[in-house]
Amino acid sequence: MASVTLENVTRMYGAITAVDHVNLKIKSGEFVTLLGPSGCGKTTTLRMVAGLEKNTGGRISIGENVVSDSDKGYFVPSERRRLGMVFQSYAIWPHMTVFDNVAYPLRIRRKSDKEIRDRVMNALRLVEMEQYAERPSPALSGGQQQRVAIARALVFEPEVLLLDEPLSNLDARLRTQMGDEFRALQQRLKITALYVTHDQSEAMALSDRVVVMHGGKILQVGAPEEIYRRPESRQVAAFFGTPNLLNAKVKDCRPNGGQYYKLDVEGQGWSGECHAATEMPRGTDVTVMVRPENLQIREAGEANGGLSWSGEISQAIFRGPHRSIMVKTPAQTLHVETPSLAEIGIGRPVTVAAPSDAAWAVRN
Amino acid sequence: MTIIHNRSLDDIDDTAPVLGGNAITRAFSGGSLMRLIGMLVLILILGFLTIYPLSMLLYGSLHSTPPGMAGEFNLDGYRSIMTTQNLMILANTVGISLAKTIPSLTIAVFLAWIVARTDTPFRGTLEVLITLPFFIPPILTAMAWGMLANPQVGVINMVWRWLTGAQDPLINIYSYGGVIWHMCQYSIPFLFLFMVDAFRAMDPSLEESSRMCGASRWTTFRKITLLLMLPVLTSSFMLSFIKGIETFESALFFGLPAGIKVITTDIYESINHRATPDYQYATSLSFAIMGLMFLLVIAQWAVLRGKSFQTVTGKGFRPNVMELGPWRWVTFAFCVLFFVVTVVLPVGQLLLGSFFRFFGFYTYDMLTLEHYRAVFSNSEFWRAVRNTMMLGLLGATATMALGAVVAYISIRTKWRGRSLIDGMAWLPWMMPGMVLGVGFLWAFAMLPGPIPIYGTVWALLLAYIALGTPVAVRVMTGSYHQLSYDLEECSRVHGASWFQTMWRILVALAWPAFAVGWVLTFFGIMRELSASILLYSVGSETLAVVLLKLWANGNAEQVSVIGLMMMLLVILFRWVQLRFIKARISKL
Repeated sequence: MASVTLENVTRMYGAITAVDHVNLKIKSGEFVTLLGPSGCGKTTTLRMVAGLEKNTGGRISIGENVVSDSDKGYFVPSERRRLGMVFQSYAIWPHMTVFDNVAYPLRIRRKSDKEIRDRVMNALRLVEMEQYAERPSPALSGGQQQRVAIARALVFEPEVLLLDEPLSNLDARLRTQMGDEFRALQQRLKITALYVTHDQSEAMALSDRVVVMHGGKILQVGAPEEIYRRPESRQVAAFFGTPNLLNAKVKDCRPNGGQYYKLDVEGQGWSGECHAATEMPRGTDVTVMVRPENLQIREAGEANGGLSWSGEISQAIFRGPHRSIMVKTPAQTLHVETPSLAEIGIGRPVTVAAPSDAAWAVRN
Repeated sequence: MTIIHNRSLDDIDDTAPVLGGNAITRAFSGGSLMRLIGMLVLILILGFLTIYPLSMLLYGSLHSTPPGMAGEFNLDGYRSIMTTQNLMILANTVGISLAKTIPSLTIAVFLAWIVARTDTPFRGTLEVLITLPFFIPPILTAMAWGMLANPQVGVINMVWRWLTGAQDPLINIYSYGGVIWHMCQYSIPFLFLFMVDAFRAMDPSLEESSRMCGASRWTTFRKITLLLMLPVLTSSFMLSFIKGIETFESALFFGLPAGIKVITTDIYESINHRATPDYQYATSLSFAIMGLMFLLVIAQWAVLRGKSFQTVTGKGFRPNVMELGPWRWVTFAFCVLFFVVTVVLPVGQLLLGSFFRFFGFYTYDMLTLEHYRAVFSNSEFWRAVRNTMMLGLLGATATMALGAVVAYISIRTKWRGRSLIDGMAWLPWMMPGMVLGVGFLWAFAMLPGPIPIYGTVWALLLAYIALGTPVAVRVMTGSYHQLSYDLEECSRVHGASWFQTMWRILVALAWPAFAVGWVLTFFGIMRELSASILLYSVGSETLAVVLLKLWANGNAEQVSVIGLMMMLLVILFRWVQLRFIKARISKL
C-alpha cells in the first residue's frame, strides 16, 4: 500500500474554485476521511486523486510517483494509477454476474484464469459473498451490492482504496454494520483508504484522521477525537452535532501544564474555567463550546468548579437512549443531554454545570 | 493482501512528461488530434447526408432545367407553385392530417389507458397485437384495403350487397374518408407506442394523494391525470400531425384516383406522371413544404418548452390499475376489434387474393397457385428481395452505428462541435421522405463525374441512412441516459482503457437499445416508398417499388403474394424482437 500526497491541489471550473490549494499527506495504511457539507469540494478532491478529474493546479503523488502535476502538464490517466474505488451508486455493471464484476480488474490485466478464480473467490470471501458468485448482479440487495463493490475494488490489491460516500444509500442499521465491518477489514489488510462522506458519525467511527472541508478549503485535519473535542474554529465546532456555543470574554489565561492553556472566561451572567489551544490575552472575544452530553443538571445553586449557569427547564424531549433538555439561562438557551431515566419537571429552576476540561474556547 | 512492489520503470516511461515534445506529439498524447480528425470525418459524413441535399434542394428550386443540365437561375419554380390549385392542395394536406390526428389520438389514448391502467384480460398479448399494424409496410395495407373496400369488387361491398340486396356500395375507399382511414391505421399504433409508457410510468401516489384530498375519481382524472399527461398528449398531437403531412402512401392509393391531391403526391406526380417531368416545380414545392415543416417543428418546441415528463421516473411503480368489472370484456373486445380491422382483414384479403385467378371472383374453380409460381420465377422479384434485404441489413447497421456515435458524442462528451453534429443529425427529421428524395436526386446528379452514385443501390442506401438517423440518435440517446456515468468511470479506475471501457461496458450495456433501433430502422427501410420511388432505377428496385409497379399494372394477385411474403418477414422480425431483445432488456 502506498501513501498519497496532495500539494497545493486546486480545481477551477471556469471562475469557480471548487478545490482551493489543498495540502494533505495520507500515510501508508492510514484511513483518512474527507468530511464536509455537499459542495465543499470533497468529492472533487477524491476524483482528482482517482484521475477522473484533472487538477488545474498543484501536484498529486501516489507512493513515490507523481500522478498529476498541472504545472508540467503531466497526467497519468485513471487506469494506470492502480486504484480501487467504491462509488456512491456502487456502479455494479448490470450485465455481469457478481463473479464477472469482481473479476473485471483482473481480466483487464490479462491474468490467468486460475489466478482470476482464486483471487476473485478470495476477495468475495473477504466480504462474505462467495456463495453469491454466480448471481446476476441486478439481483442483489443494496448491502450486497456494496460488498461486491468493495470486493471489486480490493481484488487486484490496489495502491489506494477510494470510497465516495459508499454507505449513503443504505438504511441506518445496515450503514452502521457495513461501516464497522469495513473498518475491521481495512485494519486487517492495512489498506490506505481515502473516504468521502458528509456524515460526521460515520467519519468519526471509521477514520484514523478526519479532514474537515468547507468551500474548497481544509478547515482542520486531525484524529476524530481531536476534532470533536478540540476544534480549531467555531465552524468546525458547529459541524459536529449540536453543541452549545457561547460568546465570552477572556479574563485570565495561563498554561495548564500540558499542551493547552487554561482560561477564565466571563459571559452574560455566567463565568468559569475552560481550555484553549493557544494563549489568548485578556479581553479577547472567544466562543466557548460545550457539548450537550457533557452538561449536567443539578439542583439550583449547586456548583463546583468548571462552568455553571442557572436557569429553568423550558422543554424536555424523550429520545430513547437519552433525553434532550432545553434550559433557559440569561445568556442563551442551553441544550443538555441527560440519561433518559432522570425525572424532569418543566419550569423547575436548575443549575447547569460542565467540568472545565469539557469546555473548549476558540477565538471568534 | 500484499503490498505491490513492482512499480516498474515502464510505468514512468509510459507516462513521461510530454511537454517537451512538439505540437503533434502533444496532440497525439492527449488524443485530441485523433479526436479532431474523427469529428471532421463525422461532420463530413453528416454534411453529405443532410446539409448537401438540403442545399441542393434550394439550388434545384432556382434552376430552370432538370438535374445535370445546363440552365439558368430564376424564380419560375416558386412562381409556378403560387396557384389557387396549390392552395387547395395545401388545405387538403393540412385538413386531412388534422382529420386523422384527432380521432387517432382519441383512440390511442383509450387503448393506452386500457392496456396500462385497467384490469382488462390478456393485456400483455393485446399490447403486442395493437402495435403490430405499425410494423406492416403501409403499401401492403393500402393495397389490401384497395381490394377490400373497392366500390365495385371489394369484399366488404360484395358482402354488403349480398346481405342487403342494395345496389350502392357500403364504403368507397377512394375518398377523403378512405385516405384518412388508412392513415389512422398507422397513427393509432404509433401514438399508442409513444404514449403507453407515460401512462404506465405515472406515479400512482400523485393520483392517490388527490383522492386523499377529497377529490372524486373523475375530478382526479380531470385535474391530475389528464394535466400530467398533457405534455405527452401535446407532443403526440404535434408529432402525429407532422407525420400526417409527410404521408405518401394513403394519398397515393386512395386520394389520386378520386382526384384528392396532397403535397407529397403532387411532388410525385410532377416528376413521374407528366409528359416532361417538371423538376423545378417539384423542387420548389419540396423546399416550400420543408419551410412549413420547419415552422411546425418550431411550434412544437414552443408549445413543449418547459414542459417536462417528470411523471416518468425510473422507479418501478405499480400503476394504479382500475378494476372494470364486467366492462373489462368490453375493453377487451375493443382491442380485439382494432386488431381484426387493422391486421386480420388486410392480411386475410392478401391471402384470399393470392389464391384466386382474379381478385374479386372468389369461386371454387378460380383457385390457383399460378401467382405464387409467377412471383417465384420472376427474376425482378428476386432482385428486389436481394436489394431490399441488402439495403435493410446494411442500412440499419450503418444508420444505428452513426446514431450511436453521434448520440455518444453529443451527450457523453464535452467536445467542441458536438451540438453541430447533433443538429445535423436531426435535420432530416423535418424532411419528408419525398422531399429528401428530391434533394438527393439533385445531390447525386450534381456530384462530379467519377462518383456514379446516381441510379445505383447506393443512392437508396444513403437516402435511407439520412432518413433513419434522427430516430437512431434518439434511441441511442435514451439508452445512454439510462446508464449512469459511474459505470464507465468505475471501469476506468479499475484499470480499463477508454477503448476497453467502450467495448466491455458501454457497448455491452447499450446493445439491446441498439438492437431495438436496428429493427425499427430495418422496418423503416423495408416500408420506405416515397424516397425510393424517386431514387430507384432499373436494377435497384426495392420490394415496395416492385409492388407499386405491379399494382399500377393491375396485377393485384401477384401483389398479394409478395405482400404475404413481406408480412411473414414482419411477423418473424417482430417475434425475434419481442422474444429475445425484450427479454434481454428486462433482465438488465
